[in-house]
Amino acid sequence: MTKKTTLSDRLWYLFLAAALVLPFIPGGIGNSFHGHVLTMVLLYAAMAQAWNIISGYCGQTSFGHAVFFGIGAYGAAMAVVQFNTLPWYGAPVGAVVAAVTSVLISAPCFKLKGHYFAIATFAIVEIFSRLFMIWDWVGGAIGLDYPILDDGWRNFSWSSDKNGYYLGALALFTLIFGVVRWIESHRMGYYFRAVREGQETAESLGVHSTAVKLSAMALSAGLTALCGAFFAQYNYRVDPPMVMSLDISMKFLLITILGGLGTFWGPLLGAAVLIPLQEYTRAYLSHLGSGVDLIIFGIIIILTMIKQPMGIMGIIRGVTRRTSTVPAKEGDA
Amino acid sequence: MSMVSRKRTLFVALCVLCTVLFAGSAFAEEKIIKIGTLFPLTGPSAVSGQNCLNSVLAAAEVINNANPDLNIPLAEKAGLLDGYKVVIVKADHQGKPDVAKSEAERLYNQEGVFAIIGSYNSSATKPASAVAERAKKLFLCGASSSAALTERDFKYFFRHAPTDAIESKEFTDYIEYLNKEKNAGIKTIGLFYENTEFGKHAADEGKKAAKEIGLEVVADVPFNNAATNLSSEVQTLKAANPDVVFGAALGADYSLWVRTMKQVNWLPKMAVNYCTGYQNPAVQKELAGDGDYFMGGMSFSPELAQKFMPEAIKVQEKYYRPLANQEFDSDSLQEGVMLLILAQAIEKAGGLDTEKVREILATETFVSPLSLSGEVAFEPGGQNVKALSVITQMKDLKYNTIYPTKYQDSEPMYPMAPWDKR
Repeated sequence: MTKKTTLSDRLWYLFLAAALVLPFIPGGIGNSFHGHVLTMVLLYAAMAQAWNIISGYCGQTSFGHAVFFGIGAYGAAMAVVQFNTLPWYGAPVGAVVAAVTSVLISAPCFKLKGHYFAIATFAIVEIFSRLFMIWDWVGGAIGLDYPILDDGWRNFSWSSDKNGYYLGALALFTLIFGVVRWIESHRMGYYFRAVREGQETAESLGVHSTAVKLSAMALSAGLTALCGAFFAQYNYRVDPPMVMSLDISMKFLLITILGGLGTFWGPLLGAAVLIPLQEYTRAYLSHLGSGVDLIIFGIIIILTMIKQPMGIMGIIRGVTRRTSTVPAKEGDA
Repeated sequence: MSMVSRKRTLFVALCVLCTVLFAGSAFAEEKIIKIGTLFPLTGPSAVSGQNCLNSVLAAAEVINNANPDLNIPLAEKAGLLDGYKVVIVKADHQGKPDVAKSEAERLYNQEGVFAIIGSYNSSATKPASAVAERAKKLFLCGASSSAALTERDFKYFFRHAPTDAIESKEFTDYIEYLNKEKNAGIKTIGLFYENTEFGKHAADEGKKAAKEIGLEVVADVPFNNAATNLSSEVQTLKAANPDVVFGAALGADYSLWVRTMKQVNWLPKMAVNYCTGYQNPAVQKELAGDGDYFMGGMSFSPELAQKFMPEAIKVQEKYYRPLANQEFDSDSLQEGVMLLILAQAIEKAGGLDTEKVREILATETFVSPLSLSGEVAFEPGGQNVKALSVITQMKDLKYNTIYPTKYQDSEPMYPMAPWDKR
């Protein structure tokens, strides 16, 4: 029996096709600022989707993802700067280290529930950030700066043309969204949602909730670390405030919540609104001084959240409901 | 308001908005040289960043207008080359290295600036100047003091300020002078610094210089910048009780540090600061008498300028004060100086060929009445070999110059007066 193609499937393939063609259109990406913004949209959407696995689908709100993002960033940077080798070796090592670290951290923390778990992960970012600040082997407070590298896929470095970074971000985006798409329609996804909706009920039906949560966290952390590795390659530098701060953790939350927590398209929608807003207001309004860009940025976020606490996906579902007599199926929007 | 007039108002508002946002496109038709500035205009270092920006804007006024009253190269005629005006394109890096990198790319690639001046925070200057080096574009730095910036063998990076290494050596020279001439008995040292690229480098250089003259390092106290409480850090210093403390705390962190020392009723015999909140007159005004007796390395103070840099005072009163509503400080002045040096190099190159201008910057010596040494010349790597700073001591909101003796206008007040005897 062949599986029926949903609207969501068609949108997904259409989006990927359009995104893949873009760099080959003259003026599409190149070295333009718009190319930078699009690359960041894909990266932050991928980051937020990785976070969505544990926090949206599995219901365990984590403020600690900056740690895994940072470990991934340091993985790539250490490979290039300290070991004088390719980032391709450092990135997977970083992902594995992040996944193992997430399990070690989460095993005791998962004994806590709800807000208490969130608060514990909050503290973990501070602990790791301080550790990396004083750890000279990883550059301490000074961080690690990349040398000037040859452009190309080998070094995953491009300075004059950003097409490579864009395609790299698109590959990462496709990987993470693809994994989540697979999870959504397989048994693992049902386990995740069962734990989110009621841990005790799930356990009474034979779901081992701790194992489910730990595997969700490990998967989420590993994928987040890959995003961190990309971030380090893109910026040619890592230091603890840059890659392992609560600011980074808040971005995971803000994008996903703005887009729609626990939904497939939410992280992309959140990033597509938030990142251009952040980048363009800073680029074109910061010269007015006094943080006008940040004020406008804040007002738009507040208005969106007041208007629709379920995020942009909530707005879209509301519109769909009003304009259609047929109720939208889960995963269609 | 009727529907028609509401629509008309909306149309006019949109036109105004479009004019503001796309005014840049009109520049293409004029004879202009776009120079980018990249400073922290928001975030913890925003006040210093705004001052740096205002200094560059003041320097642009010196270049763009005929200023026969100023004895500064290029000030007499209006504009550069055959009538080119300098247009400043501003950008804000918020004190974040990743933002500094992407804004540097935007300034070069989208705005088409000829060079960038910035970026105050060493941690932001590093990635932003790496963008310039990769793109073979000029990056001029006024105040960032991390020695590592000019140890990268970059060809397109030039820095005016003395490095932490130069300042550390000057501080320890002064300690030796005090021990020898004033029998000061300074034997131990503590380091208090923000845990950032700038602070860590400054502390490392401070330790190195201190060890060279046999001082024992008894306290090494980093703190997180933009701190809200420094009690435990200051208590650590108090417990170790060093004779002298080298400080590296920017802006509000500096005033918090001084006030916390007052709270715990402790002072070392002497406290010397790198380019920090100490140099900012606004911070000193905020501290009032509490900032007295502290010392710091400076390339500019109003008192010093009266004697050795009179043109800086003229520029300050004519162009900087109306913008910033205060006096220059060391950091801000040096950013403006870099625009004046760049202008000289462009004029000597006779055009906007980046390679020619770079070659001139790298090989020639420039007259610079707004620099303490009066000259600027860059060695390979981009460090200004003529960079000079003096040690000053704050008293009654005045920066008294106390070392080197050639520049001295006051006797050093040593040790610092205790809090209860002020």
